[in-house]
Amino acid sequence: MNDSVKSPHIIADLTIALRAAIKRRHGEGADIGNIKVAVLGGSNRTLLFDLHESGNQRRLVLRQETYRAATSPFLAPHDQFKLLQIAHRHGLPVPEPIFELNAADNLGRGFVMSCIEGDSLPKVLLNDPTYAPARKRFASQTGEILAQLHGIDSGEANFLAHTADSIDPLAAQIARYDSYGEYHPAIDVGIRWLETRRPSASKESIVHGDYRNGNLILGPQGIRGVLDWECAHLGSAVEDIAWVCLRSWRYGKLDKAVGGMGTREDLYQAYRANGGRALEPDEVHWWEVFGLLRWAVLNIMQASGHISGERRSLAFASCGRNASMIEYDLLMTINGQYSQE
Amino acid sequence: MNQDQPDIQEILRSVIAYTEDVAERSKGSERYDALCAAYLLSAVARELTLGPEQSRAQHAKLSALTNASGSLADLYAVFCRNTRSGGYDKKWNEAFKFALQQTIDKVAVSNPQHLDVIHRK
Repeated sequence: MNDSVKSPHIIADLTIALRAAIKRRHGEGADIGNIKVAVLGGSNRTLLFDLHESGNQRRLVLRQETYRAATSPFLAPHDQFKLLQIAHRHGLPVPEPIFELNAADNLGRGFVMSCIEGDSLPKVLLNDPTYAPARKRFASQTGEILAQLHGIDSGEANFLAHTADSIDPLAAQIARYDSYGEYHPAIDVGIRWLETRRPSASKESIVHGDYRNGNLILGPQGIRGVLDWECAHLGSAVEDIAWVCLRSWRYGKLDKAVGGMGTREDLYQAYRANGGRALEPDEVHWWEVFGLLRWAVLNIMQASGHISGERRSLAFASCGRNASMIEYDLLMTINGQYSQE
Repeated sequence: MNQDQPDIQEILRSVIAYTEDVAERSKGSERYDALCAAYLLSAVARELTLGPEQSRAQHAKLSALTNASGSLADLYAVFCRNTRSGGYDKKWNEAFKFALQQTIDKVAVSNPQHLDVIHRK
């Protein structure tokens, strides 16, 4: 983890500011306790804490923005909060949005939401016998959730229309890749392949943008919460379908295309049964190549943050070398060696 | 070699073993950092062994493919620009083959277990 995140005096300062923010909204009688810093995220600091109010206790989560850059692929916290409100209003399994931070809080940009109990660590979810029933349902439940998300009128989230990923997702990746000043032959091969085979325009949907094993809270019986909405945008629903099937989220369980837990057949069937559009293999293939390219660029971004000194961490340094594995999967997917198994 | 024992590979083996041990008896972010450290040092060890020959072979292939001269970094830049602009569309298979080999070389350093069996040495 980044030293600046786990430093005791930073946590102490955060606690003081957070306590004041809570008291401003819930009254002097409210207090916080049991504060825990979650592991480092790509663009956020996540603090879990208990809210004590009128004899009741509730576990909440503070999400603070830690990364801002002109080429950042991440949504501003204000937009993430609005999106959570939409998803929550439509009954999707997401944390309840509680309040947004403001200038008086002196905590930067971010928001507070409810805490959904469960586990999100892929290694646990893929191997612990406790989660066997959840694994069995994962693909079909994912189909249901994504169909529900993609069925929401995208006009409700028209504040996302200005983002680079909503305007042209491929151009957005190219601009980010170029901004890091590195040359990766596999990525340029991927860009050329994608640019010469763009699928025809489809109905615009709200796209989660990072729906996958690792960003979901699961209980023993299934998915309880969809987290990490910072990559959301408007675009093709197929992007989410392809993203959750990337080899990168299978963690060695290569025969289970959907997050190392389920099959494409179960995912596609549940998606269609819940109102999702028909999925054409060529289009899914294009979006999988796109997804791998995007994931490689995101890893280069994290390494760039480490190299520049802006966000030094061993994890982000590792991302730089992880990019090669994603590039390999990208080329093996392009040439058909990794087919849509 | 102008240095005393232990040599670089032996030093790396020792520090990797230490970081793996730290990971084994740690939790949370400390365990994660230790695993990352072991991963990065393992890549360093493989790069020291494989890197020079990979660079030499890639430079030779890229010089022929691009008809350009310069450092390997210069040739990567030429290859990437030409690929993206469509300059290699008529010799796509050749360009793809180079990109794949360059990527296999990188994965052989970062994590050879990730390679499909057809690309493992």
